[in-house]
Amino acid sequence: MTGAVLLLAGCQNTEDEVGIRTENVGFAAEQTPVTPVKTSRAPAENPINAVKNDGIAPEKIAIPSIGVEAEVLHLGITDNGEMAVPSTIDEVSWFEPGYEPGGNGRAVIAGHVDGIDSPAVFWDLSKLAAGDEIIVEGEGSRLVFKVYAMESVELELADVSSVFGYRSSPELVLITCSGAYDSDRGTRAERLIVYAELIGQ
Amino acid sequence: MKKIFVSVSVAFALVFSLLAAGVMAEGDTAKLRVVHASPDAPAVDVYVNGDLTLEDVPFKADSGYLDVPAGTHNVEVFAAGTEYAEGAAVLQADLTVEAGKAYTVAAANLVESLEFVVAEDSMEVTEGKTKIRVGHLSPDAPAVDVGVIGGDAVFSGAEFPGITDYAELDAGTYDLEIRLPDGTQVLPLEGTELAANTIYSVFAVNTVDSLEVIALVDYEMAASPDGMPSTGLGIPEQNQTNWMLMIAALAAVVAGGGVVVKKRFQN
Repeated sequence: MTGAVLLLAGCQNTEDEVGIRTENVGFAAEQTPVTPVKTSRAPAENPINAVKNDGIAPEKIAIPSIGVEAEVLHLGITDNGEMAVPSTIDEVSWFEPGYEPGGNGRAVIAGHVDGIDSPAVFWDLSKLAAGDEIIVEGEGSRLVFKVYAMESVELELADVSSVFGYRSSPELVLITCSGAYDSDRGTRAERLIVYAELIGQ
Repeated sequence: MKKIFVSVSVAFALVFSLLAAGVMAEGDTAKLRVVHASPDAPAVDVYVNGDLTLEDVPFKADSGYLDVPAGTHNVEVFAAGTEYAEGAAVLQADLTVEAGKAYTVAAANLVESLEFVVAEDSMEVTEGKTKIRVGHLSPDAPAVDVGVIGGDAVFSGAEFPGITDYAELDAGTYDLEIRLPDGTQVLPLEGTELAANTIYSVFAVNTVDSLEVIALVDYEMAASPDGMPSTGLGIPEQNQTNWMLMIAALAAVVAGGGVVVKKRFQN
């Protein structure tokens, strides 16, 4: 009986740790002047055919700075219009109807911050700092992204079309839950959004 | 009181830094892209509202889209490495941009008569279709058509300096050419692959004796959900309540057990 009580106490936090950890997070790397370059790819016979960046269907994600390695599921939209997420806490989901990692635009990958009684794959996402690397693998390619900004946004203020929107270069966006738990909505009141840009393959 | 004041100011600083990086709501920002299309001009630095924004931009390079607040911006071009001085730009314009729209600003013509050519860029295409437009940015080239080799013109009478409206086409591969209105080919563009859900700009640049094209993607369409994902399975308050209930239940069981034991002893 005593053992059971200890087990319960070990799994459950009397304080809401996610809410505390994500209370004052967010940053943006300082903007420096951009130096545009002419396309570095082999000049195709027809320059119009060299202009699109091809993306990949992601299979694995790794974030060495917070020890994350996970399988990437390909999911779409739920019945209520939200981005779908895995039912497991150790996998993440790529928003397949959106942009592909490595192609222009924001490819979005979401993962849980916690399970029913334990941390989940993106538990430490709020610990990321500008410059941290995120590696996405798929279709035999390995893409390296660099974190440049993070914000924790209230759900009603989140600009969904921007978070999932077009950019003229390849970007990766990671999302998990943050803020205090909102029992009326049955979800946390904020979303932690991490923005990263492609730096290499 | 002091503690509260400090945390509020930290929050404000955070909001402003995020705005500066353009990761906040895009409801009040525009997208702006700069193209160097002046064949004899050196590489340039571009200042927006007095801030060095693009550095050492060579001929034929483009900046990609930058997020800028809606409103009017002072855009100034200097030869790369020149020290900034107000009013000393080789090219200056007050450019007004609207929220939610995208623009291309090309620095065109020969350096002695450098000028801006500005166009609004499309961010909408019919599902499964492709869109393309052309810019005539070759200062000494005559008016041209762009069309299918041996077939119809898609764009007719494009003149310097100008950017045409978009034409929406079926996605696919086209044998295109730039030609004079009399049909004489100026530049072949055979096997041009125009992808579905993609919008292109193709600009003819350089002088007529070395005419070439730079191609840019203006937009690629993809789906977006209506709502953010629900990415937490934990329910803190309820967990806490459950935990308290469990403790209470356990206590009751223990107490009950105690009663049983007592009874047994009484027996």
